[in-house]
Amino acid sequence: MRVLLILIPFAWRNLWRNQRRTLITLLVVSVGVWSILTFNAVIRAWSDSSLAGSLKNMTAEAQIHAQDYLDDPDMAHSFPEPTGELLQLLNSPSVANWAPRVRTPAIIQSEYETLPVTLVGIDPDREAGVSFIADSVKQGVQLKDAKDEGVILGRHLAKRLNTRIGKRIVLMANDINGRLEERGAKVIGIFSSSPTMEDSFMFTGLRPAQKLLHADGRLSEIAMMSSAQTPLPQLVTMTRQAAPGLDIQSWDELQPMTKGIHDLTEGFIYVWLWVMFVLIAIGVVNTQLMAVFERTQEFGLLQALGFRPNWVILEVLLEALQIIGFGVLVGSLAAYASVYFLQDGISLEGLSAGADFLGIERVLYPRLEAREFFTTVIVVWGLGVLTALWPARRAVKFNVIEAMRST
Amino acid sequence: MSTILECKHLTKQYHQGDTTVNALQGVDVSFNKGEFVSISGPSGSGKSTLLHIIGSLEQPTDGDVILDGISLRNESRRELADIRLNRIGFVFQAYNLIPVLTAAENVEFILQLQGVDRQARRARSGELLKQVGLEGLENRRPGQLSGGQQQRVAVARALASHPAIVLADEPTANLDSKNSDELLALMSKLNQESNVTIIVATHDPKVIAHTRRHIVLTDGNIETDETRAA
Ligand SMILES: Nc1ncnc2c1ncn2[C@@H]1O[C@H](COP(=O)(O)OP(=O)(O)OP(=O)(O)O)[C@@H](O)[C@H]1O
Ligand SMILES: [Mg+2]
Repeated sequence: MRVLLILIPFAWRNLWRNQRRTLITLLVVSVGVWSILTFNAVIRAWSDSSLAGSLKNMTAEAQIHAQDYLDDPDMAHSFPEPTGELLQLLNSPSVANWAPRVRTPAIIQSEYETLPVTLVGIDPDREAGVSFIADSVKQGVQLKDAKDEGVILGRHLAKRLNTRIGKRIVLMANDINGRLEERGAKVIGIFSSSPTMEDSFMFTGLRPAQKLLHADGRLSEIAMMSSAQTPLPQLVTMTRQAAPGLDIQSWDELQPMTKGIHDLTEGFIYVWLWVMFVLIAIGVVNTQLMAVFERTQEFGLLQALGFRPNWVILEVLLEALQIIGFGVLVGSLAAYASVYFLQDGISLEGLSAGADFLGIERVLYPRLEAREFFTTVIVVWGLGVLTALWPARRAVKFNVIEAMRST
Repeated sequence: MSTILECKHLTKQYHQGDTTVNALQGVDVSFNKGEFVSISGPSGSGKSTLLHIIGSLEQPTDGDVILDGISLRNESRRELADIRLNRIGFVFQAYNLIPVLTAAENVEFILQLQGVDRQARRARSGELLKQVGLEGLENRRPGQLSGGQQQRVAVARALASHPAIVLADEPTANLDSKNSDELLALMSKLNQESNVTIIVATHDPKVIAHTRRHIVLTDGNIETDETRAA
């Protein structure tokens, strides 16, 4: 302890003997830490935004279905609108939003064309915060409410059908008893989204859809979003308990692809962290080795004067600890400043068409999570000092006499 | 007179490729407390090797050193470091001082490692630097001192912790004659005043003239070992 108190200021003075080298090390460490943290914040914003985008493509965070619906998604596999315990849970603070849906394969026919599509009956107000359709109607009007009989089509589908707002189309689908039903409807709105969404889905009010399919009071699907207070896995478990006869799955089970991409991005962040870390380590080892070799005589002298071998190691480590600590401090402050500066969002307006296409939002909001921030800082510092062990051990390996002789 | 240091049949061999250099070939010698001894001999005769082994900076191939009653033979690296810290003072030919520390801090550094408190350290370094004639230069770094001044700081540092012996390997070799005279006068004065044992390896006849006991080494053997009458 006494020796530590002597060596800390001693190491600090030694550090500033070669200012240029110390400043270079400082730069390497701080730029490294800065880039790890900032990159992390931006990539995470991107990843979260694209995940949010994918989930808005009708998946939401979790879905409730009748058993077997996912294998055979038609009205024969529907379930009654929620009541009792399930309704209570859905309306509890654990659930941020939930949306009841009728969802079945259908045929849509215009004067010119007949195409397959997924018919979705929705309550437009409930889709807010759950799916893209709540704010993607770009021409015409949104469905007024669950009773609205109009239909909303994707821009691309409308083009393929050669139809437009105000025109009528015919819908055909199997009803709950497996009989083909059809009804005419008026196109009241056109939505824009990714091409897949535009081609796959058409929307109408929940009630008329139920009526067409002779499924009054029945649903194919409830989509839901968890609230901040209840983590998703917990919500899924609670829902399974509240509705034992139904099939409840979370987004990662429903969309393994999306899950895979999300994991890949997370992995990429770690790869970056390690690449930067290796660069930092090389920088530190290099300069510390140089520092040690330059001061061979001095380490010889210190040992001749009665420095224990461990004190020599400690002295070199303390130098590394201080310079890396200083670099980490500068780097993390710079990262904090950068992210603070970007907190109002990085606008992707320039690529907004592309952003729609990629299913991400138009503005990214980078943020540093405290836990990640401190892990990075401590990992870089700790491992940096560990790498400095090598030069430190070199410093005691010199034969004292040889070291002193090399004048 | 009490024996402070005993060398028992010290031998040292260096192997360089196929050839073996016998740097010391069985040196038996002992030193009393308070002696001022010079060791001379031709270049390569083993003077430095002997001082290094006595100072525990090198291990002998055979034989032993008994310093202040402690056999150095079987001590660990760490224990040897402690022995150097507490019982041995070194003055080398050059590069004696720690560059980032001032003259006073260089003298105090060892005391600090020994745990001597701040006031006692200040007092000791002030007193020593005054004795070696460096009053007023306490806060200079080694780079701001002349060669002679640096050697004087080194002498002050070697004495700071009241060691059992001071080992000096050609301390005047890099100094002009005026500076070597001063350093010598200083060393013999300190030797008398503090009764510390000083062993100097040297080629310098003036150094030899200053010491009462003079040992001549040739080829790793003691050729003569003479003590003049007081
Ligand atoms: N590390 C070493 N490796 C090989 N041989 C060495 C080593 N150190 C010393 N020697 C040899 O040992 C012998 C004694 O060397 P030493 O340095 O003790 O002589 P010295 O009397 O101090 O000479 P000088 O007056 O030149 O300083 C020499 O022959 C030298 O070459
Ligand atoms: Mg020599």
